[in-house]
Amino acid sequence: MLKPLEYLSLIQRRLWLIKVMGFFPRLTWLGMQLARPLYVDHETSLNRTLRYGMMTLGAGKLPPEEITTYVMGFNAMRRNFKQAMNARKDGVPLVWVQWILSSEIIAAFGARALNAELLNVFGNVVSAATPSELIAEAESIGVPVEYCSALKLSIGAYVLGQTPEPDLIVRASQPCDTSISSYQIMEYLTGAPAFTFDAPYWKDGPSFEYYEQVMWDFIAFMEHHLGRQIDWDRLREIITRVNEFNFYLHEVTEMMRARPSPCSMITLLMQWVMREITIGDPEITASAREVYKIVKDRFEKGVGVVKKEKIRVIWWNPPFAFFTYVFKWMEHEFGAVVVNDFIGQCQMPQIDTSSNETMVRDLAKSHLYLAMGRQCHGPVEYITDELKRALESFNADCLIFAGHNGCQHGWAVGRIFKDICKKAKIPALILNADIMDQRHMPEKEIKREITEFFRSTGLA
Amino acid sequence: MMKTLETVRQLAVTTQNEYLASAKASGRRIMGYFCAYIPEEIIHAAGCVPYRMRAVQSPNTTLGDTWFSSINCTFVRHIFDKALRHEFDFLDGIVFSNGCDHLRRVYDNWRYAGLSNPFLHMFVTPHVINDSAVRQYRHECLAFKESLERHLGIVISEQALQDSIRWYNRKRTLLKEIYELRKSKAIPIKGSELLAVMLSITAMPVENAVEILERLLSETTGRDVSSRGDIRVFLAAGHMEEIDHLELLEGCGAVIAGDNLCMGLRHFDGLVGDGDDALASIADRYLRHISCPRMINDFQRRLDHVKQVCKDYAIEAVILEKMKFCDLWGGEAFIWRNEFKKTGFPILVLERELHGGSTGQIRTRVQAFFEQVRNRQVHDEFVQAAGKNYRLK
Repeated sequence: MLKPLEYLSLIQRRLWLIKVMGFFPRLTWLGMQLARPLYVDHETSLNRTLRYGMMTLGAGKLPPEEITTYVMGFNAMRRNFKQAMNARKDGVPLVWVQWILSSEIIAAFGARALNAELLNVFGNVVSAATPSELIAEAESIGVPVEYCSALKLSIGAYVLGQTPEPDLIVRASQPCDTSISSYQIMEYLTGAPAFTFDAPYWKDGPSFEYYEQVMWDFIAFMEHHLGRQIDWDRLREIITRVNEFNFYLHEVTEMMRARPSPCSMITLLMQWVMREITIGDPEITASAREVYKIVKDRFEKGVGVVKKEKIRVIWWNPPFAFFTYVFKWMEHEFGAVVVNDFIGQCQMPQIDTSSNETMVRDLAKSHLYLAMGRQCHGPVEYITDELKRALESFNADCLIFAGHNGCQHGWAVGRIFKDICKKAKIPALILNADIMDQRHMPEKEIKREITEFFRSTGLA
Repeated sequence: MMKTLETVRQLAVTTQNEYLASAKASGRRIMGYFCAYIPEEIIHAAGCVPYRMRAVQSPNTTLGDTWFSSINCTFVRHIFDKALRHEFDFLDGIVFSNGCDHLRRVYDNWRYAGLSNPFLHMFVTPHVINDSAVRQYRHECLAFKESLERHLGIVISEQALQDSIRWYNRKRTLLKEIYELRKSKAIPIKGSELLAVMLSITAMPVENAVEILERLLSETTGRDVSSRGDIRVFLAAGHMEEIDHLELLEGCGAVIAGDNLCMGLRHFDGLVGDGDDALASIADRYLRHISCPRMINDFQRRLDHVKQVCKDYAIEAVILEKMKFCDLWGGEAFIWRNEFKKTGFPILVLERELHGGSTGQIRTRVQAFFEQVRNRQVHDEFVQAAGKNYRLK
């Protein structure tokens, strides 16, 4: 029988351990290098609650200077989890935020935001089987099996008491039907008032205007339910940090066009995940600043993230949450560097902080450029144009498409993706997997498929 | 069977019909559309005939499957299959919808496949019901109207819109009258017959539809299709066009007395107001009528609605059907099942493929469900008869 918030407590303790490790990045790096045989290959009862963290920290393949940036981000996340767990005790409202949204406004109201889907990624800290168990729990109470596993997992986590009770829910009408449907279930189960960010289909003037109105409606919703006014100065402060963060990530994204690439995509991905959870935290902006400095230094020296870059990979669709190490594994085994992807590449517009109105206007617009939302709220061109640009501008040798089992609208345009790769004469590996549930395709199978792909196409 | 019902039965199972041919011959264009959230009035005011897209007569999804995947619903796979077989070439345009993930990708694949319909338009409906969304829907109506005007080289006047509104309101009023006949103990029209009516009147000019409905209303008055022992059922689902499927339910002892279907209540619920701004009135009706589960902030109203209909129409059981891989109705099923469990009201959730057969399995499930409902009724009668002497063993 699970204790309430048992998983979150364990994750928080592991993040504390990482904080300690962060004081000694070189020693951490060396320790993880030496201990590789004990955890890299597979999970055991001895390495269970440590393996995922070490693998995500690169398993000794991430340079020590980058470990420091990860640790800064994890520190911010640990604070967020702790604050969410203590929200009720502290008498501070807790707002669940769908991961495809950003929580600047919530922070400006003095409420605490919790990414309701965080166990999709961090559930792996508990054990490799945990995400699948949470998914199975949701299915056992009647949640449709064909739902995207990410949302099933979130419902399962709530039902098992592993997510703190929300006072309010903030959700979006994108990126997919599972989101639309599952957040109705969450509202039904929790009984918490919910606000919906209704995403327009297009990115044009009238659509941005509508979304701006939605943002104002959201502020009114928060005022109504929290009985307080938004702190505009606090919002400005948060947005200033977010602008700075976005600038760094944008620059790093651009520098990765260089051959050899000065950065690996996993670093940007982790930065993005951390940003989504801890929006506006000064430490997460500091972390991005450090990444930027490190990558810029390599870029100016013409140094790559790996000694000998052999293959440049575009990774499409979100990465495997349970196997974040795949990026470092490809670098280590094949000199294959993921230079662009679906989530980590930053395309956020800057927000004008000169007035309250410009902040709301630009914040609304920027929400339509958040990873995944940017691509999924409209026609297929919002995905394919980005893919074509990535294939052309990043000198890609191949594409790995991490097919996600529950992504119905993604699979509905699979033929168009294949045609694009064919026309670009880029070999593509389409993995029939599930990014959250490794029962569909476990680590070993992913490695085998990628190895076969590199070999059969002559890339390795 | 009555003459009008025989006519509509024949019309319902074909892709095209003589009404469409005659409209086309008289110079009217036929515009396909996909969803109950697309305003027919605007298409009509442009001098065109709105045609609700359907997959009837589709033998399989062989071609459709080369574009869509096996985790996409069979409605879009059948539709696209038919499109690739050029069975929709008679349409002068198609209005797509962001009704669901499967449907919105039809728009993408249609364009990418280069299918030959000259006018393709994506009509975007908000996913919420509130004042901002109604204003946005009105804007969408205006964009759609202007798009039609540009394509057809015409001007759609306010008067034309008001005239169209009157036609469609007349159609809705007649449908409501027919549906409300099912409140009585003697149900004058079967669910399968009504589905045939809906299929036929959404594939012809509204003027003809009104004529058919008027005839039908007079013909059905005083009729009784229910038998003793039939279970009065409320049916909820998304797109449904398989008349034989409803006949199967009826063959198991169901008499469908209420529904929330795309081709049912959602097609005619609520009238368009007669305000000066026709598009605003249209927006208000289309966004605020009884919703489908794509409307994210409205599940409580849908629940309240089904509960009210159960009272008003003496419903004895609810059947909620979802097509395989329909997340929206899957989530709705979860909520309804949990809600009805609280009061013990019988509900059956069925999963099916469009034109997918599996009749044996479905029949067994429905029969078993009805047996449970009847047993429960017997039990309840026994408890009532026993009064305060009844004791649980």
